[in-house]
Formats: sequence, C-alpha cells, structure tokens
Amino acid sequence: MVCIPLGYQLINNIHFGGFKLFQEFLISAFNPKIDNEIIIIVIKRLNETILIGFFSWLVSIIFGAIFGIISSNIFYKIFNIPNFFYHIIRFFLTIVRSIHEVVWGILLMQIYGINFSIGIIAICIPYIAVNSKVFAEQLETIDYKSFESINQINGPKFSSLLTLIWNPIINTFKNFGLYRLECSIRSTVILGFFGIGGIGTSIFLSFQTLNFRELWTYLWSLAILIILSGLIFTKIKFKTTNKILSIFLIAVFFITILFSFLYFLYFIFNNNFENFNSVSSLFKSNSNLGLLDFLKLILETIILSLLSTGIAISLPPLVIGIFNNNTSKLFIKIFAFLLRLIPTPVILLTLLTFNNPSVSLAALTLGLNNAGITSKLLFTNLDSQDKRNYIAMKSLGISKKTSWLLGLFSQQAKSYLAYCAYRSDIIIRDTAIVGVIGSVGLGWQLQESLSSFAWQEVSIVLIAYSSIAIVGELINGKIKNSLT
Amino acid sequence: MNNTVLELKNISHKYKNDLILNKINLKINSGEKIALLGKSGSGKTTLISVLNGTIKPTQGEVKLFNKSFAELDRKQKSKITTIWQDLRLIEDLSAEQNVNCGLLSENNFYFAFKNLLNISSFKKAHKYMQLCRLHNSIYDKKIRNLSGGQKQRVAIARSLIQGSNILLADEPFNNLDPKLITTIKNLMLESVDKNNTKKSPKTALVALHRLDLLNDFDKVIGIKDGKIFFNIKKNNLKKIHLDKIY
Repeated sequence: MVCIPLGYQLINNIHFGGFKLFQEFLISAFNPKIDNEIIIIVIKRLNETILIGFFSWLVSIIFGAIFGIISSNIFYKIFNIPNFFYHIIRFFLTIVRSIHEVVWGILLMQIYGINFSIGIIAICIPYIAVNSKVFAEQLETIDYKSFESINQINGPKFSSLLTLIWNPIINTFKNFGLYRLECSIRSTVILGFFGIGGIGTSIFLSFQTLNFRELWTYLWSLAILIILSGLIFTKIKFKTTNKILSIFLIAVFFITILFSFLYFLYFIFNNNFENFNSVSSLFKSNSNLGLLDFLKLILETIILSLLSTGIAISLPPLVIGIFNNNTSKLFIKIFAFLLRLIPTPVILLTLLTFNNPSVSLAALTLGLNNAGITSKLLFTNLDSQDKRNYIAMKSLGISKKTSWLLGLFSQQAKSYLAYCAYRSDIIIRDTAIVGVIGSVGLGWQLQESLSSFAWQEVSIVLIAYSSIAIVGELINGKIKNSLT
Repeated sequence: MNNTVLELKNISHKYKNDLILNKINLKINSGEKIALLGKSGSGKTTLISVLNGTIKPTQGEVKLFNKSFAELDRKQKSKITTIWQDLRLIEDLSAEQNVNCGLLSENNFYFAFKNLLNISSFKKAHKYMQLCRLHNSIYDKKIRNLSGGQKQRVAIARSLIQGSNILLADEPFNNLDPKLITTIKNLMLESVDKNNTKKSPKTALVALHRLDLLNDFDKVIGIKDGKIFFNIKKNNLKKIHLDKIY
C-alpha cells in the first residue's frame, strides 16, 4: 500500500545529476580516510559526543524516574492526592515529549546561541518526558493488591511508596536505562548536524564539502562506538545485592539531582538572551503563514508519519520472509545495522543527490532508518523463539516462506506490532528532523520561522506539532492496548 | 466496661449490582478469638476487608476503638494486621524484605531504605521467620521462587511481626501441611493469649473452612450470602448452625 504513492512520486522526482556523487558515497564506505590528523579529530569529536550523550542520559534517566513516579497512579493513591493533578502532570509531560530534541535544540540555540550545554538541555527536556512515560508504565503494573497490603500496614507514606516502587524502578533502569544511553548518543549526533558539536557536526561538514571518505571515517568510528557500547552494556550486570555498588549508585543519583539543579540555576542566570527578549514576543510578532499553507504543512507531516510508519512496520517482516536463508539474513542484518548507524540527515542528503525533495523521499528516509531498528527487534525475538512449529510445518512439506510466516512470525506478530505502535510515536517526533533537512512539513516551516525570528509562527508550528504527536500517541496507545 | 475494639453498624456493601454484605452488625471485644465460617463467596473476604478499612462499605459505619477510620491516625490504624487469603506479598522482594515490611509502621524512611538495600542485619525478621518454621536458606529468595506453603508462612510472619492488637486472617492455613497447621495456628493464637504484651495481637478473627481447627476459638460467626446467620460461643455450636450456612 505504501509502495504505490511512494514509488510514483520517487520515480517522478528522479534526476540523474547526482548519481556519480551517490556512487562515490558508496565506494567511500570501503575506503575511508585514515591519517593521524583525522584520527585526532575523530577522538576529539567522539569525546564531545560521549560527554554530551552521557550527561544528557544521566540527567534524563534520573529525572525521568522522578517524573515517572509523580506521574504514576500509585503515587497519587498512596498520598491521597486528587487525580486532577495526575492528569495535569501527564498532559504536561506529553506536550514536552511531543517536541523532538532537534526542535528543542534549534529553539534553544536561537535563544541562547550555540553552547555545549544546549546539547545536553535539548536532549534532556524531551528525554525526561519520554523516560518518565516508560517508568510510569512500569509502575502502573504494580499489583493493586500489593498496594492494599502495604497501605494496610500503615507505615510512613514515603516508606510504603519506596517499598512498592523499588523493584519496578530498578528493573526499568536495568532493562531500559542502558538502551537510552545509546539513544542519547544518537540524538547527540543528530544535534551535531545543527552545530552543537561532536561527531555529528563533523559528519555534516564532510557531507557539505562532499568529502565522502572523511564522512565514512566518522561514520565507521561512530559504528565502533555504538558496537563497543553495546558490548559493554551486555557485560554489565547490575545486582541490587551488591551493597557497595548500590550505595555508590544512590550517591550518583542524589549528586546528579543536586548538580543538575545548581547547573540549571547557573544556566538561567548567566546566559544572555541573544535573540529572544520576552515570552510576549511569541505572540506579538507578525506571521505571514496563511491558513491554507499551514494546513498543507500539517497534512504533509501526517502523510510523512503514515508513510514512514508503513515502511518501518512492513519492510522487516517482508524482507526477512522473502529472503529467508542464513546468507540473506546476514546481509539483511548488516544492511539494517547501516540503516540504524547512518543518521537520518545523512541518508536523506544522500538520497537528495538523485531525487528532488518530496514527502515520499523524506518518508523513505525516516522509514528506512526506523526499519533498521524494528528489524533488529524482530531478529532478536525470532532468534530467541521456539522453532518447533516452524520445523513441524516444514516437515509437512509446507514451503519455507509459508512455514516462516505461520510457524514463526505469526507468534511474534502481536508483540512486534505493539512495539511498532510505540515506534510510530517516535516516527511522528522524528518528522521534525527530515522536515528541516528535506524541506517538507512542519519541520521545514519551523526552520524557516526560526531563521526569521518569527516567534508567533514558531509558536503555531510547535502547537501543531504537539497536537499531532498527542493525537498520534493516543491512537497508538489504543492500538498497543488492544495488542497486549 | 466497654471493651469493644471493632464494631460494624448496619454494614452493606455492593460490588456492581451484587450485594456482597447485607446489613451486618457485629461487635468484636478485646481478647476475643473468633472463627468466621462460610462457603466460598459468602462474603468472608469482603467482611475482613471492611474490618481492616481496605474497603469502604456502600452503607453503614465501621468503628475501631470507638472511632471511625477517618478519625484514626496512622499509628492507630496500624493496630490491625491482616493475613490475606491471596497473601499479597511483593513478588520481587525477598522473603526477609517482605517480612520486614511488617515493621514499616514503627520505623522511619531510612528503615525502608535499609530493607530494600539489604544493608543491615534484621534480627527481628529472622526471629519471626524462624517461629514460622522458615529455614534461613530462603531468607534471600524472592517470593516468586518460594513454594505455596513457604509464601503462606512469610505472609504470616509479616503479619505477626507487626505486633498489632487485632489480627484478621483470611483462611491462613490454606497452603500448609497438617503438621504445620497446628504449629502456625498455635503461634498465631498463642501470641494473642500468652504474649499479651503491647505489641502482640490481642484479638483475632480468622476465616476458616476446616471445622477441626475450631478448638482454640471462643466464638464462631457463620456467614452466608453476605448475612450473619449466627454469632455464638464455640461451645454452643451445633450441626443445625452449620447446616444453615453450608
């Protein structure tokens, strides 16, 4: 279904001027630039990326847990706080996470100028809200009867709360926390494209100067960083029974909170507002954005989200199902890794070498990048699944593809689709990045409005973004609930 | 002298359209040991939940020490302890941590913290676990890895360690083998009689199915379809009473 409009528009927009560049881009992957000078730059840039990524991760995971607690119903039940506050805080967090870190980054850079801290803050704002949702969802799984029994003991409220939430919080840290570090590093790379620094900035500059060999040096070094961090994560086993480690982590927890508060205060009182004088300017400046144009941009963003989601959901099972042998699987895994590795702006800019900017091209980019992520999940689940049904079906003479579909994939379909529903929330947010680079949708308008300091337009675009993301989150929540 | 510790006045409770408790009036005096008899679904669990304040009845008044639940402070409320039929232990915590939860009411936040981090030796918990015949090899085991009988004893130990004045128990002997039932029953009821200290339960209401366990109780209450059919001294219990509720 997705292929028809997508293929039509892409074929119509194709131009052959950039094929040579594209060819050069692909060849450079096997011949990256390696000399002393670039190695020093790589180390320096990776250091910056790790620093921004690590600190934004640390702050966002800790504050995510805190906001997760205060946005979970268990907190309100224990302290007998009216549900009204629960809904208010949840709504506030939904709005905060609906705006992509790139948008926060661009916005903050316009206000405060380019600054190392902006990267950390831009990632932290939506990440705290995203993490809080995950923590809150875990806390919602606490058995109501456990709550009743602890509540009936009538201990101090904070003791009861801590006893009930301890394990869900620790388990979320263990299962989800380290994955979020990888996400923070990826976001740092993307923000680098917009001048924050780190390896992302180098990748973008190399692309702009068409220095593909240098570009691939940065991309491969990023790949090594992601692979290494993945390997380290699988080795780390956090045990709550280790008393010294537990005390150390709790100390880190409180020091981070204290440091973040102090730093936040320092940041607020020691920064000049370069281009932004007051909140009132958000509403007073003139807007040249017509209603029809604005609706068209909203529609483009929705179509972009739908098409990208379609690609991200359908491509992995389709490709794995058709090319269902060990050699093909290996190639698919490598290809999926590259799709995850190469930041969406690079994929989009590469595709732009032989195609005009369009919604389809942006959707293809976003869809492919996310298909790399969904395929990783699908492979992991399929590899760990009981294969007896599949073997039994094959032994009955049923074709390999049909056996795979009915004997293997069908058992994963529900959980896969439930994850994809969550993924589509992220895709809606990600439309901002491809929008900015690919000149489509609200992302592009945001860039334009920010460049001309049209704050009213900025406000309108942000409200529209939030509304689309909130509606998307509600629909996806319903889909996810019906699947789990 | 009025020594009523718990009182239910005209209590009715509805869940959706079903009337679970129907105009219940009940007085429980200090030191009484009461067995609550009735078929499954007769309203025993709901009655216990109303007595401990977990369920707010649709109609009627519950009084603890002559005060309604809303008037009681945390310390006063903690004078009731409950052994739930479905145990209600925290599955991800160890047996020892669950037993220590019973001490939350008499300790501060730091105790809860120490309990979860296992950074102290909890002698009191060990004592109660030993009393409940729990071997020290299971102290560190998570609840989900214990057998039904072990979980039952952890729940009983958690309740007894609270040292509350009033013990409510909903079929507490369900998962125990016969030899252990006597030991645990004695432990629960002995603490009512012999350890009549401030921290021990002085009053007990225990929901039961087995009539052979009635020996140590003073009174028997029979409940059917949410109504109390009899509330008599154990020695007056006759077959005719049981026929009414079974």
